[in-house]
Amino acid sequence: MNRIVVVSAGLSVPSSTRLLADRLAAATTEALAEAEVVHVELRALAHPLADHLLTGFPHGELAAAIEAVTSADGLIVVSPVFSASYSGLFKSFFDVLEPGALDGTPVLIAATGGTSRHSLVLDHALRPLFSYLHAVVAPTGVYAATDDFGTAGLDGRIQRAAGEFAALVGKPADRGVATDDVMQVRRSTAEEFADPTPFEELLRNASR
Amino acid sequence: MGMQFGIFTVGDVTTDPTTVRTPTEHERIKATVAIAKKAEEVGLDVFATGEHHNPPFIASAPTTTLAYIGAQTEKIILSTATTLITTTDPVLIAENYAKLQHLTDGRVDLMMGRGNTGPVYPWFGKDIRDGIELAIENYSLLHKLWREDVVNWQGKHRTPLQGFTSTPRPLDGVPPFVWHGSIRSPEIAEQAAYYGDGFFHNHIFWPASHTAQMVELYRRRFEHYGHGQAHEAIVGLGGQVFMRRNSQDAINEFRPYFDKAPVYGHGPSLEDFMEQTPLTVGSPQQVIERTLGFREYAGDYQRQLFLMDHAGLPLKVVLEQLDLLGEVVEVLRKEFAAVRKPGVPDAPTHATRVAAAGGPADSSVYAAADDVTGH
Repeated sequence: MNRIVVVSAGLSVPSSTRLLADRLAAATTEALAEAEVVHVELRALAHPLADHLLTGFPHGELAAAIEAVTSADGLIVVSPVFSASYSGLFKSFFDVLEPGALDGTPVLIAATGGTSRHSLVLDHALRPLFSYLHAVVAPTGVYAATDDFGTAGLDGRIQRAAGEFAALVGKPADRGVATDDVMQVRRSTAEEFADPTPFEELLRNASR
Repeated sequence: MGMQFGIFTVGDVTTDPTTVRTPTEHERIKATVAIAKKAEEVGLDVFATGEHHNPPFIASAPTTTLAYIGAQTEKIILSTATTLITTTDPVLIAENYAKLQHLTDGRVDLMMGRGNTGPVYPWFGKDIRDGIELAIENYSLLHKLWREDVVNWQGKHRTPLQGFTSTPRPLDGVPPFVWHGSIRSPEIAEQAAYYGDGFFHNHIFWPASHTAQMVELYRRRFEHYGHGQAHEAIVGLGGQVFMRRNSQDAINEFRPYFDKAPVYGHGPSLEDFMEQTPLTVGSPQQVIERTLGFREYAGDYQRQLFLMDHAGLPLKVVLEQLDLLGEVVEVLRKEFAAVRKPGVPDAPTHATRVAAAGGPADSSVYAAADDVTGH
């Protein structure tokens, strides 16, 4: 069964960001027929995240959240818009992931805001961030302004985004990138510890 | 000598947050010497200094510092923690530390590391993106320079050498023992294992899980490369402590230093950080118990160094700490020896390495003479 992790960065309770996240999770579960959904609320991780930025390592619940996110079959990420972009809390979480942690992971991007004037935040802020992280971003993202929650159109956008995202999750991307005739695969830290590159090879590469 | 105990310093010039006074470079340099001499006086085995080339550190020119301390001490082993194998010419390392070996009658070893900051690379004409490559290529040359009298060598990161002899040759024909230090790079554990050198984990500021993971990899690969069984690999660990007879006094006194310290200050609370990392602030007995626990995840190991002079602690307090550490180490020696598994090697020293090599062999290299005149 696919495991979908939902990261939401809403600050208030109840939160419209969490509300949108729940709708996207439900629509995705429906599209996949079945899925295990795990929620990661960043509000509770604000202090551990600040500590991680200063000390360079996660602990406790943050370590568990990072483990959940980096081992997910697909991610739904939802941020409120702050000053024309994702919130600092949202960005901080993705800042502390190891390089390569989201390589090839399907991601559904979504955002909430007070006004529909911020809707391009999806394509100007969230999409480039996840492209940089080498995630596979679903073509449709969902932006919901406060007044969208009272209109019919939001539902259709949620269905469409969840359908595209579910298709990506159901057909996992190859985590390697083919260049010329060599398959270059970035190895995770865990893989390197389990099966280290032999020293003779490191020595050859060092002087090549 | 089963295990070695000592101290390591990063040579930071940090404002004392309780008096808001910052020592001068001169004061800090002289304090480092006083600390090293005190370490010998209280019965420690090792003094190690870091190498940094930027403020707020006074840890540049490590061989100058170590030679000066060496001249004023008799027994203590002088080490680095760490030598920048990435940005320092291996030819200079070979010369400087072989010279130090002669001057101090073999009381020298080195710990290799990659450096603390990106800009240090361009200061020495290098590129941080080559960090691992430099650590690997430079060390392979250094290893050769200490073992072969005449070296022909070609690599990517420095000019080739043709018929080069590094002088002086190592004391008694035995190069200084080398440790490789890294917090999280598996390549460095692999490197230490390949050469059968020691592996040191700084074991401060980060969770012990990093240490366990690196030491496990090093031991496994040490065995793979045929240097002995995993439990025979040579492991060193760091640690950071602050002690008073009464543990609450230790916490109250250290807290302002912790709260504003470089690296972890302004972050987690002292209590959280003690739980998350090997930092121990408390009574000598608490330090003894915590330290004895390190072997549970690192195995029986050979060297334990403590960071004692960090975060702006004044010299007087550091010297008091060393008095306490002397008492703690006396207990640790006995307790570690009592639980040590059979077959675990002793910490390497120049004397044991010379003995293992079959005795001292003068390795002086003389310039070639004319075959006809003898001149």
